[in-house]
Amino acid sequence: MIRWRVVVLGFAMAAVAPSPAAAQTLPAGYAGSETCKVCHEDIYNAFARSPHHRVEVDAQRGWQGRACESCHGAAQAHTEGPTAANILVPAKLAAAAADKICLTCHLNQPTQAGRLESSHAQNQISCTACHKVHASQPLAVRKAEATNKLCASCHLNVWAQFQRPFHHKLPEEAMSCVDCHNPHGSIRPAMLQSFAANEPGCFACHGDKRGPFSFEHAPVRLEGCQACHEPHGSANPRMLIRANVRFVCLECHANLPAVPSRVAGVVPPSFHDLRSPVYQNCTVCHQKIHGSHVDRNLLK
Amino acid sequence: MKTVIAILLVCPVLAQLPTAPAPTTTAAPAITTGSGDAASPVPSNEPVLTGWIDLGYRWQTGVGGSLDTYRSIINLGSGPKFLGADFTLTDPRHKWFDTIQVRADSWGDEPSSIVHLEAKKSGLYDFNGDYRDFAYFNFLPSYADPLLSQGIVLDEQSFDTRRKIAALSLNIRPGNWWSPYLGWDHDSSSGTGAAVFVTDGNSYPVPNTLRDSTNLFRAGVKLEKPRFHVTLEEGGTIFKSGQSLFQSPGSVNFGNFSEPVLGQTLDLTNLLAAYGISGSSAYSKGLLTANPTAWLDIYGQFFYSQPNSNVHYQQTDAGSLYLQSQILFYSSEQEMVTAASEQPHTSGSFGAEIRLKRLRIVESWLTDRLHDAGASASAQTLMLAGTSIPLSSLLATTLASNYNQEAADIFFDVTSRITVRGGYRYVWGDASYAFLPAEGLASSAQEQLRQNIGVGAVTFRPSQKISVTGEVQAASSSGVYFRTSLYNYQKMRAQARYQPLQSLSIAVDFTVLNNQNPLSGANYEYSALQESLSFYWAPRGKIFDIQGSYSRSDLKSNIGYLEPEDLSPQISRYRDNSHTATTLFDLAWPHGKRFAPKLSAGGSFFISSGSQPTSYYQPTARLSVPLSKSATWFSEWRYYGYGDVFLLYQGFRTHLVTTGVRFTR
Repeated sequence: MIRWRVVVLGFAMAAVAPSPAAAQTLPAGYAGSETCKVCHEDIYNAFARSPHHRVEVDAQRGWQGRACESCHGAAQAHTEGPTAANILVPAKLAAAAADKICLTCHLNQPTQAGRLESSHAQNQISCTACHKVHASQPLAVRKAEATNKLCASCHLNVWAQFQRPFHHKLPEEAMSCVDCHNPHGSIRPAMLQSFAANEPGCFACHGDKRGPFSFEHAPVRLEGCQACHEPHGSANPRMLIRANVRFVCLECHANLPAVPSRVAGVVPPSFHDLRSPVYQNCTVCHQKIHGSHVDRNLLK
Repeated sequence: MKTVIAILLVCPVLAQLPTAPAPTTTAAPAITTGSGDAASPVPSNEPVLTGWIDLGYRWQTGVGGSLDTYRSIINLGSGPKFLGADFTLTDPRHKWFDTIQVRADSWGDEPSSIVHLEAKKSGLYDFNGDYRDFAYFNFLPSYADPLLSQGIVLDEQSFDTRRKIAALSLNIRPGNWWSPYLGWDHDSSSGTGAAVFVTDGNSYPVPNTLRDSTNLFRAGVKLEKPRFHVTLEEGGTIFKSGQSLFQSPGSVNFGNFSEPVLGQTLDLTNLLAAYGISGSSAYSKGLLTANPTAWLDIYGQFFYSQPNSNVHYQQTDAGSLYLQSQILFYSSEQEMVTAASEQPHTSGSFGAEIRLKRLRIVESWLTDRLHDAGASASAQTLMLAGTSIPLSSLLATTLASNYNQEAADIFFDVTSRITVRGGYRYVWGDASYAFLPAEGLASSAQEQLRQNIGVGAVTFRPSQKISVTGEVQAASSSGVYFRTSLYNYQKMRAQARYQPLQSLSIAVDFTVLNNQNPLSGANYEYSALQESLSFYWAPRGKIFDIQGSYSRSDLKSNIGYLEPEDLSPQISRYRDNSHTATTLFDLAWPHGKRFAPKLSAGGSFFISSGSQPTSYYQPTARLSVPLSKSATWFSEWRYYGYGDVFLLYQGFRTHLVTTGVRFTR
């Protein structure tokens, strides 16, 4: 009986094995994608609808007819004795090893230029943590809701901040995390997107704050918007980092004017009587707080 | 029997013997937007147009509390709504396109409306278009309201604007080794609001109009070869902005200060102030990646931009006005200001990753150099009883920043399941600003940035079901730009994911940041702690799934400052202790039936104590019932409740009920 089982299995494998014509084109040790399909039909069908399917049909890429093995390695041994031990499963590899497989094709693409600045790469977050290799859609065209959900599955603290009353419109699905952040890495801090080459990505939507101004407010240029704002969300109006506007300002503007200091920010003149409501919100008068074209004191 | 089995098995094997060479072309796969990955790829009998559209009506039950706050935070209204659509047009012949995909969300007098279009033809082009329309209303009664104590509720920094953002990009020959691309990005805003006109002795809230637009044009080419990649891009922007503040002649505005100055009451009786701002920029961008050997990858980025602005400002005002520096009362004023500025900005990074057997070494260098120069010339004429006093000024300003960072990280795979990382980063730079001619309080300054940062991290993944990542950073500084900058700080983050069952996954996240600036007078102490837990449970074979998250954050900040009036040292204390939870429960009933209704319920709450004690509740429930194969009725209830312990009049609560039909094709 056992002998017959061996015979049946042998014929079954022979039946699904590549035809001699195809086999002639397959390098030694490779089984071909059609062979993989026999057992992994659902994955194969999904893969056939994915952008990666180009690897299967494009002869120039060198993996025609064996796209599965471009990532999973030569699978002839696996077809002869299917076990988890004789097939490469990137999901089980260390992040760097899994990424190396992806980067075999994707390293030399513009998306990877900022990879060394990416905290994802530094923290061993592999490509497959976000990208489903067999899926029918590339991640980039997903709806904002799906992108945000994916990011929030790891960045739990950040998503909690978006539940605060003053926030960018991510929970409303009008924006996605990648509107502001480049998950592959960026030359800007916190993997922020860039606008017009190297300006902060914030200016893509807040063009009126971009300048350049004749009278700059130095923190905007040197520390960015997050010097005063909590971009993910805040309990404070205008997503400010403090409940009262005056403290946002006075915490920096506290150096005596005549005394050399190692940090920027001079205390306001003495007529600023903080007991008066007019002076409790500095931006009542200093309206051009992001920078002014015409007034040194950012009043107009 | 055995013979029959043998024949049946031999037949397919024989059937594979070649009679003629098989065609090598493979039919292009059908690309659809369906989420089911397991669907058949056969294109021939698929419908050309697939997708859905949601149409409905929303009722708002009325806002209890502050309508202005509601509009500033939520701003959803009643009426018929085009709630969303997602369509894909597939051309089985692939003549002009493979697919055209259109998505739209929230149209019909909604605060944020979106439409996205994508058209592609494999190997020929890939076109993306995106348009968003945001209604930006902001009128928080307590914000910027110096007259509140007099019973006048007026947010003097309020606005009611619409911001429109569009982006179009066209990639030609995508997937080929050389691929040019074009892009256009647009951002514009227009609307009205309240602003403040500031003179020496008083400040006057006045209405204003706002408008600005930015257009960005770009073109580039991507060169992708197996061993290297280069992207070159050139682009530019055009910016225009106009703002005007006005007050009709004849009306009297007594401003924010009602006290007379030297016995004379100040007022504004006429104002027209207008900005005409134009700007442009050109930029260059170059990206490089390469793997010259199997063990070495190199990366490089270079950016250069030079935005500039030109401004004409005109101001005419009349009233009882006061010039403090000359103790002079005057009745009207005319001012013209011409200003210009430019900001050459160069950034670059270069790095390499060296891969040895179990060791990886990453070395990178980054620089960012920004030099801003501006000049402003103003001519002012003050008029008082029969005479006029001309005043003029010419100011030049500079702001320069040079930032540099060098980092080295070593990654070591202790085992296939444990990776450790050690790294060091040195950050240095300088910043300076100056006003010429020197006048006033601070006319020039120069600061230095010097930071040494050490990093240690470990990633542990004993199985596919468990992963733990921890990272610690510690920094020591000898110079920073601002009192509140990160100085001597310690940052730690730990994250763990665990999947005890196929149907249950749990994630926890812990972050802590401590920062101390011992600078005399500042004594800045900052600590922020965030802890989160989330779970997702979808038991197999059951009709429900549930997911939820809970986060707690605790922020403490103490920093010294000077009271401007008497320069007495004070401490600014800020506390924020908050709890946030979200949940979503899905119930599909009855299980296994074709037309099964589905119920979803959940939402979020946020409560905080400390400097801004706030509560914000957003529960929601949604019921959808399939009416036919192509129509599903749905109804959704939402509640929004916002409360501020210190500003009770600023809270609001409202119910929203939306009902509609989803048509599916």
